[in-house]
Amino acid sequence: MKRNVAFFLAFAGLLLAQQTGSRMPPLKFTDTTLDNGLRVIILEDHFAPLYALAICYKVGSRDERQGRTGFAHLFEHMMFKGSENVGAGEHFYDIFTKGGGANGNTNTDRTMYYEVLPKNQLDLGLYLEADRMRSLAITKENLDNQRQAVKEERRQGIDNQPYGPTSEKVDGLIYDNFAYQHSVIGSMADLDAATVEDVQQFFKTYYAPNNAVLALAGDVDAKDTLARVKKYFGGIPRQPAPKPVDLTEPEKPGERRGRLEDRLARVTRVEIDYRVPEITNPQTRALIVAAPILGGGESSRLYQKLVKEKETAIQVACIVDGRDGPSTLRIVAYLRPGKTSQEAEGVISEEIAKLNAEPVSEKELERVRTTIRRGIPAVRESMLNSATALAEDAALYNDPNRINLEPDQRIAVTAADIQKAAQAWLRTPNRVVMITDPPPPPPMPSRKQQD
Amino acid sequence: MIRRFAISLAAATLAFAQMPQPQLTQSLAGVVKLNRAPVSSEVLKVKLPRAVERKLANGARLVIVESHRVPTITFRMSLPGGSLRDPAGMPGVADATATLIRMGTKTRSSKDIAETLADLGAQVVFIPGQGETGISVTALTENFDATLAVLADLLINPTFPQAELDQWKARQIATLEAAKSQPTFLATDVLSKALYGADARQFTHPTRDSLNRMTREMIVEHYQKYYVPSGELAGIAGDISPDEAAAKLNKALAAWKGGPVEHVSLPNLPPVAEKKVYFIARPGSAQTLLVLANHAIDRNSPDYLDCQVLNRILGGGPSSRLFRVVREERGYTYGISSNFSASHYLNHFSIGTSVRTEVTGPALTEILKQLADIRDRAVPADELADAKSSIVAGFVLGLEGSANVLARWLEQREYGLPEDYWDTYPQRVMAVTAESIQKAAKKYVPLDDVQIVAVGDPGIGELLKKFGPVEVPKVE
Repeated sequence: MKRNVAFFLAFAGLLLAQQTGSRMPPLKFTDTTLDNGLRVIILEDHFAPLYALAICYKVGSRDERQGRTGFAHLFEHMMFKGSENVGAGEHFYDIFTKGGGANGNTNTDRTMYYEVLPKNQLDLGLYLEADRMRSLAITKENLDNQRQAVKEERRQGIDNQPYGPTSEKVDGLIYDNFAYQHSVIGSMADLDAATVEDVQQFFKTYYAPNNAVLALAGDVDAKDTLARVKKYFGGIPRQPAPKPVDLTEPEKPGERRGRLEDRLARVTRVEIDYRVPEITNPQTRALIVAAPILGGGESSRLYQKLVKEKETAIQVACIVDGRDGPSTLRIVAYLRPGKTSQEAEGVISEEIAKLNAEPVSEKELERVRTTIRRGIPAVRESMLNSATALAEDAALYNDPNRINLEPDQRIAVTAADIQKAAQAWLRTPNRVVMITDPPPPPPMPSRKQQD
Repeated sequence: MIRRFAISLAAATLAFAQMPQPQLTQSLAGVVKLNRAPVSSEVLKVKLPRAVERKLANGARLVIVESHRVPTITFRMSLPGGSLRDPAGMPGVADATATLIRMGTKTRSSKDIAETLADLGAQVVFIPGQGETGISVTALTENFDATLAVLADLLINPTFPQAELDQWKARQIATLEAAKSQPTFLATDVLSKALYGADARQFTHPTRDSLNRMTREMIVEHYQKYYVPSGELAGIAGDISPDEAAAKLNKALAAWKGGPVEHVSLPNLPPVAEKKVYFIARPGSAQTLLVLANHAIDRNSPDYLDCQVLNRILGGGPSSRLFRVVREERGYTYGISSNFSASHYLNHFSIGTSVRTEVTGPALTEILKQLADIRDRAVPADELADAKSSIVAGFVLGLEGSANVLARWLEQREYGLPEDYWDTYPQRVMAVTAESIQKAAKKYVPLDDVQIVAVGDPGIGELLKKFGPVEVPKVE
């Protein structure tokens, strides 16, 4: 039943696409699962003589246990420290000196690795990825080395940045379930506590072919490429499927508020987060379309109200932080000195109330639709963007065709859909308000001192 | 706000790893080469797709890269109104003009303009550079004509409303205040004054004082003098033919007149002679931001390619020495990189990194050791070959988007490089030798005259004295 509905929606999306939709032909790709469970997606595109390879492992910070925050990301670093047939540092050295580029990144839900290389180096990319999936070199020396790099990454990204600690505090208020409550980068103490045994266990559990999706896009022959993938990856044994993480959140009784003084900050920051369902939920999709109407650029409601009309803020933005599990619609404003967080909060609350009370205008909706259409070429023109999107959509949502369908489904969102979703989720008891203040200005010299 | 002045600040989003290893057969610190991965030794020979040129009626040279892969068009053009034209003592006038030109025309309010562009899903932005201000337009093919019409309205009929200026000034003062919490902002400010203190290149942002004194008349004057066609370069890439492109632009910009204006010409500066350490105390810092720099080459220097290969070896990316040693061997930082800023107006080399406070001294010592080494010792043959192949083979990666291809051709014309510059580029990179690199290193990699900027915990001031005479600059 469910499948039929999904099919119908997809079909309706396609019909619509011909009239007002994305107006680009769908991408065609092959989708094969090897005997060991590795899902392989190949997109041929012969525009430029290069290819991008992405491997998405279904493991993120949500899979971490208490006392090991930051581990999924620390592990990602370990993947660049060598394997049975690849020396420490050789992975990157080979790719960069052959004219390529590569990196990895970790979020709450998955870990992504990718390479872009000239097409004559197809075997190189596949070999390097296969060797580390099969035989990662796990040593204390490598672990200590990367622990250091990750701690510097934390300092640079959070501890040494204004508003750095804010995001960690906000996550703690939005989520009660440990899975999403802690940060991806993790705490210094937990990074220090990680052991070689942790790395070994994590590797065995999550870095198995049946827990990954490989997507390859570019100037290749799909059949020949699949044969090479089988050659390099086919012999890697599957492992028992990891236990899925429970992401469910208990009901929250009401609004939660937090306030933080940040010694590196110079202006007040107001953040309001509304809890919304997972990214694939149609109501979340409606709110993804609503977010730019609220706070996407100079024509948006919040910009016009907060920045231009009331001159309360110097900057405001609204986005949906869409995840595989419970997600948020996030509004962030940086205030003008002398303005209070209450003023900003009042205006934001009014605009949310308006979104609940009245349907958005057709003009506003059409604007978002044009932006969505405008965004499609950016994915299509880049093999890396195509490969990572295919791998992620297959790994997290079991739907690589999302790359084709999602834009049209967003274009099909109506004003009524948005209003219904706003009424369901953008409610005061369902939100978190987080204020970050700069330190108070140094006290004025007293009269006595002046004398 | 700091876009004009690119110091290479460890674009440290890299999650790479190279493992420290004692002495191996190959001479690369921080890499264990097992050489078992299948590597093709062939370097793909690719030719950059050709661009076509048309002269526009207003004198501009339009460079066209046609590609119908996706239904979008990108248009770029420059006009003479960059920040070097700011009136003396008034940094920010060019910035203000570039922003306020989008805040009102004879028939549109700022809200109308924002909404019209949003309706079109198009971008029209004015990016103030140094000598020039750039215009960047991107739109879906179907909306390109309408977007050009908006651009023409902005260029020809701006009204610079007083109320918008007042609001902008107030926002800028607050933004400036917020920026002062960013170590990169502070370092950029200080470095630009250290290197370019003799002329207008030192100003990278408006100041509170210049914002307070800025009037609508200054902006109107800047617009009238410099927002004119001046035979500058323009480029268009994407879903459009050369004839269509020229016809559409000629039509849309027919009423845009004026110019030409003489180019700003500033001398290339020689390295600052005396070593100096600029220290900015930033209480609460968990890391020290370090920038090491001095003057080097401009874009037209005959040593340009030597410097490119040199940089790839020293600090250009995760296969470079600085990354392998300072991050991977020593674990001092998450990222470190170096860069030659070489244009008409900038000629300096810089290294940027953030290190935890406790290792500020050792990190500086190690970086200086690497600078000395590349000056004193010829680059080993294998490392040189790898650096050259990374640049030549990597050329392929720039062929993906038509806007990237256009950028290459605009660069060739902007600096008057030969027509076949990109065709012969691989051979010329391959011709770089260990000897020419060492020569370039001695000339352009600073050591005894290095300018160091450090932003960090007040407690590190004392230890910095070991590295040179310390000055505590004032950040406006």
